Amino acid sequence: MFFRLLMESFIRQRRRKMLAGIAILLGTTAVTAMLALATTIGDRIHKELAVYGANIVVYPKTDLLDVKIGGVDVKPATGDSYLHESDLKKLGTIFWANNITGVSPELPINIDATTAAGESVKLSGLGLWFHHALTRDAGSLVTGAPALHPWWRLQGTWPSETAGGRTGSEAVIGSALASRLHLKIGDSFSPHLPVADGNAMSQSYTVRITGIVSTGDNVDNQVLLPLAAAQIIGGLPNAVRRVDVSARTKPEDAFARKNPDTLSPQEHEIWYCRPYANSIAYQIREAIPGAQAEQVRRVEQSEGTILARISGLMWLVSAAALLAAGFAVSAAMATAVLERRREIGLMRSLGASKGAIALLFYAETGLLAVLAGTVGYLFGSGLAAWLGARIFAVDGSEAVLNPVLLPVVVALALIVAVAGSTPSIRAALLVNPSTILREDA
Amino acid sequence: MGRLSMTGMMRRSLVHRRSRSLSALVALTVSAAVATALLTLYADLNAKLHTEFRSFGANVVITAPASGVLPADALARVRQAAGADALAAEFGYAVANTDRGTAVVVAGTDFAAVRQLDSWWQVDAWPAANDADAALLGQRAANFIADERSVTLTFDGDPVTLHGVGRLRTGGDEDSRVYMPLAAFTRWTGVGPSVIQVQIPGGTATVDAALVRLRQALPGMQVKPVRELVEGESRIVDKTHALMYGSVLLIALTVAVSVLATLSASVLERRRDFALMKALGGSQTQLMGMFLMEALILALAGVAVGFVVGSAAAWVISEENFHTATLPHVSVLPLVLLLNVAIAVMAALFPVRALRGLQPAALLKGE
Repeated sequence: MFFRLLMESFIRQRRRKMLAGIAILLGTTAVTAMLALATTIGDRIHKELAVYGANIVVYPKTDLLDVKIGGVDVKPATGDSYLHESDLKKLGTIFWANNITGVSPELPINIDATTAAGESVKLSGLGLWFHHALTRDAGSLVTGAPALHPWWRLQGTWPSETAGGRTGSEAVIGSALASRLHLKIGDSFSPHLPVADGNAMSQSYTVRITGIVSTGDNVDNQVLLPLAAAQIIGGLPNAVRRVDVSARTKPEDAFARKNPDTLSPQEHEIWYCRPYANSIAYQIREAIPGAQAEQVRRVEQSEGTILARISGLMWLVSAAALLAAGFAVSAAMATAVLERRREIGLMRSLGASKGAIALLFYAETGLLAVLAGTVGYLFGSGLAAWLGARIFAVDGSEAVLNPVLLPVVVALALIVAVAGSTPSIRAALLVNPSTILREDA
Repeated sequence: MGRLSMTGMMRRSLVHRRSRSLSALVALTVSAAVATALLTLYADLNAKLHTEFRSFGANVVITAPASGVLPADALARVRQAAGADALAAEFGYAVANTDRGTAVVVAGTDFAAVRQLDSWWQVDAWPAANDADAALLGQRAANFIADERSVTLTFDGDPVTLHGVGRLRTGGDEDSRVYMPLAAFTRWTGVGPSVIQVQIPGGTATVDAALVRLRQALPGMQVKPVRELVEGESRIVDKTHALMYGSVLLIALTVAVSVLATLSASVLERRRDFALMKALGGSQTQLMGMFLMEALILALAGVAVGFVVGSAAAWVISEENFHTATLPHVSVLPLVLLLNVAIAVMAALFPVRALRGLQPAALLKGE
């Protein structure tokens, strides 16, 4: 009997059910879309913030002081200390290795070279990775300087890291240097190799220019070579001067600023296992012998604030959406019950108990909320995915449906629908059935 | 007489069915409040986000050419050209030797300006404003200084003793430098400021316009934007803006349709009134006008309450998230009014159209 009543109610009052259903559907669509956007906004904005470059820098612990003004070495240091390039693959073994999204080692060198026209020039060169696998594993991160400097504008192509072998390489040159020396893509020059092992002078080495890069800073005056080539030309095998690391981090809080060596073992464990920039830097120091790692505060601190503000805004707007949708849905439910006072009166005069009537109405409401809520969840997820793809660059790895949201959204729809219809059901049950039946006649 | 009875009917209608009028009013208030809150936040969003991006520091760097120096009034000219809300700090650089004989870059600057401009600097303590020979030691530079309390530096054979107030940590070039007040720096080295860092709040267009003004104000000087900052800021602000725009539309639409559904259901419910009035000789137009007036009154009341509630909500959200207040924007009022009136008119007209074909007699009989 109960189920028949329930079914009949859905079949006979299609218009009324549709109105309430649409209200729930729209409400859950909006709430799902907002929640789906709010939960992914952190990652998305972090990807956008990558344009600011590395947030951790690694350099040799025994380093001499940089004497740099405006990015230019005023007094080139002699007898520099270096990190080993072969140690960099250890970055793939630290606790938060998966949070490392970019690695870019640098080796500045001075190049004495002869151009194709026979002119002798002094150049300042920078050895970099362009498209380099961090470890030898199949799924290794492939990274390099272009990924960490998205604002660099290249004309031509990045140099291939394998071209030339021991007799030559490819390079790109900064735009200011290119116009000063009248070099263009396709030109080449021959650097003088160091005389360290006697026969090196006899070897000829040719660097071919494959592109011209504009960076807006001092790199415009440099030659960018593959790291291996820079090590040959500079006579510094396996050497790296500094490494820029870009990592996904958790914004710094008071706990992150603590000195890990003064914490209790348990606290140290917690500190170590959180992706703070400080803890990742600490793990890099542990992994690479003789390395000093520091967070780049300009990037790290500011990114944290921006990330917190934008995702905070999305959460608060989601809360506002939740509140508004809740109001709208409960108003719609209240109206839907109010309309059916006569029905309630009739059922009571036919002997139905208050409890049975309330149960019938709640069952209807619940069924409606679950059905409309599920459809709304699907619509909302689709909408969020579409909106996200329109606004942010998508790398295809993001799932459209977030299964955690389904129970949350349906539960919210249930609560709001039940809460919205309760006052009307109560009011209708309190009134004497004969009054209801007579009042409109 | 006709006008009077109209207002009388209106008042009766609103007062007599108090609970129903109230729920319609609540629905319209919610829609107005949501629209007001979101539009107010949206109107302020760009300014607020650009304020947050100030924490990245200078986005324009002005450098004297290698042979020349900055004009004496350069900073004043920069301030004038860049606008009142721009931050600027000047720097002079020289290479000196520490007490251990290591070469170190010494920078002269105005600590008060740097503290505002470079908020990410982590220092043990900022030097007092009247402290003429204070020094901040970069954490790497400090390793090459024997006595961090009283730092002796030599420039061109000319020694100076500064008292170090603390270490400076940034993770950048600053770590390898020693910072001191500009006046003492110039007195000691004879070198004037050669670099001015400027922070201009705003997107690419604003910064580009400021660059043109700065180049005019300082002919011969290199005026360069810090490209990654300017581009990144514009991109992120634009994307957040687009995201908010999508959210505002979505939420406003949802609430509008839900409210519309609720309202039209409650109008539909009154078909008995409709039939009675028609039976008593009311014309279709009169009845429509009656329903419309009622809905409009509710809509206006909804806007009045909703604007206050929505502005308050925007203020709370903004205070909570950005720690700055968002004041009510009267400029959003027309849009909110339009939205609410549109909802009310549609809610009143849809059911009336649906009821037009019905026979009053059949309705009154209860069919």
